[in-house]
Amino acid sequence: MTIQILNGLVYGSLLLVLAAGLALIYGLRRVVNFGHGAFYMLGAYAGYTAAQAGGFWAGLAASAVVLALFGAVLDRLVFRALQDRDPLVTVIVTFGLLLVIEDAVQWIWGTEGRSMDAPALLAGSVALGGDAFPVYRLAVIAMAAALTAALLAWLHRSRAGLFVRAASLDPAITAVQGVNTDAVAMLVTALGAALAGVSGVIAAPFLSLSPAMGGQILVDCFVVVVVSGLGSLGGAALAALLLGQVQVLGAVLLPDIAALIPFLTMAAVLLWRPTGLAGKRL
Amino acid sequence: MSGAGRIAAGALAAAAAGPAIAALVPPGVLLSLLAQACIYAILALSVGVLARQNGMVSFGHAAMFGAGAYLAGIGLGAPGLLPAEAALPLAVLAMAAVCFGLGLIVVRVHGIAFAMLTLALGQACFEAANKARGVTGGADGLTVALPREIFGLPAATFQRAEGMFLIAWLAMVALAALAALLARSRFGLLTEAIRENEERARFLGYGTVLPRAAVFALSGGIAAAGGVLYVLYNGFVSPETVHWSVSGSALIMALLGGTRTVWGPLAGAAVYFLLREQLVEVTERWLGLLGILLVLVMVFLPDGLSGLPRRLRRRHGAEA
Repeated sequence: MTIQILNGLVYGSLLLVLAAGLALIYGLRRVVNFGHGAFYMLGAYAGYTAAQAGGFWAGLAASAVVLALFGAVLDRLVFRALQDRDPLVTVIVTFGLLLVIEDAVQWIWGTEGRSMDAPALLAGSVALGGDAFPVYRLAVIAMAAALTAALLAWLHRSRAGLFVRAASLDPAITAVQGVNTDAVAMLVTALGAALAGVSGVIAAPFLSLSPAMGGQILVDCFVVVVVSGLGSLGGAALAALLLGQVQVLGAVLLPDIAALIPFLTMAAVLLWRPTGLAGKRL
Repeated sequence: MSGAGRIAAGALAAAAAGPAIAALVPPGVLLSLLAQACIYAILALSVGVLARQNGMVSFGHAAMFGAGAYLAGIGLGAPGLLPAEAALPLAVLAMAAVCFGLGLIVVRVHGIAFAMLTLALGQACFEAANKARGVTGGADGLTVALPREIFGLPAATFQRAEGMFLIAWLAMVALAALAALLARSRFGLLTEAIRENEERARFLGYGTVLPRAAVFALSGGIAAAGGVLYVLYNGFVSPETVHWSVSGSALIMALLGGTRTVWGPLAGAAVYFLLREQLVEVTERWLGLLGILLVLVMVFLPDGLSGLPRRLRRRHGAEA
């Protein structure tokens, strides 16, 4: 049982990092990014290639850099150009992007699954109540917690973070105050994409790499972002950790309905408590 | 000629083109592909109807398509209970009724939130189809044996490409004509008015929820009809049919073709299948090219490919 709860926590932590990026991009650009799962997958593959040359940590860094650049270019060429169009147009464009990225990854890396080793430092397992639990999975929880803490500190303690919070509350007023909101949005899209890439690399050693790996987790991310109402990172963290438990622990305790719960909750939130996506802004 | 007359004439001409295509195309892989394309075109049509009349983008229509297929499959699997001739239309009507009830609730949600809502409900249906092994066969899917005769036609007619192509083609034309006639009726104009400005329509004294729910029901019924044909042709349906990636493909077809016209999504389905089958012989990269095409159409041709003639005409007129 402890093992199941921990496994749920591991998946929840991964979801949290991914969903934080999704929520950030939504906050600034009002774009529900269907490409986010594909960013995660692209990040995993980019990290995989870099890790073969320089090890896991090089892979992690390379993935963050590559995806940040990708996000910046995407924001400059696509999101900024489409910011005055119907938001649904941009959503469909990110959906097209998802197809392009999945296909490009298949082109470059092929369709067969690949696996990546955990760094030597975190290899092996520890005994927990009689069962062996991989150290790497504990490290995933720690890495997610560190990233979330850093993100929170940046949002609430730095000047750039202040601009990000202001611009997601009211971009027009923020711009009037002399903040270059386009630059803020570009920074945030780059950061959101980098977070997706990093979570891809973090996932790689315990979930195998495949071009389809982004699909399932994308939908889970949407559940997190919608259920937490896009209100706060804290809400998203709670939603992500709960969803992790539903996915893993729920599958053991309530195998028949566990898979339905997230989607029904998401639908209920959209119908009855619409904040963020449907109702008032952040 | 009046608008309704034009629609009727167009539908008759399109219906007559069906047998001509079937006669020209040699039976085999290509005709089987055309049969599948017509079935998915019906799904794209249903997505387009919802977008055109209600301004709603759905990421969950595979659930209605799949539910129609499952209902028909379950009905055909219990021949003592219902004759097939009753089970098939009943599957469509039941889905339309369910969608009307659901529509009363969901049409209050707009824009991206509606897209996410349909995605959530669609995935809930996907998980339910996976889990309800007793009814749906779970992940293994449901294999359906057709009775010897349906509507006086031998079962083989439905499962061979020559037969199914013609049936699906005629169904597609009939459903598109029905949607076009409804679109230019009082009801159609009212829903367009609500789409443009719901508050103003309400000020004029119209209830807005019922017409929007009715469009949702119509769209669900059309999608279910596509699902019924799907299960007749394949004799099989599995949760994969309900997955949101199928909804996404149908949405791509509808938006590629354009949803300003009723027939746009049909053109979109044709382009989608042409790309998939023709490009695959030249390059394996058809999915990426489809994505690029989708992005280009969304950015530069908001009316879709079916809006292209009008656009060119307008530009030509402006120059002349």
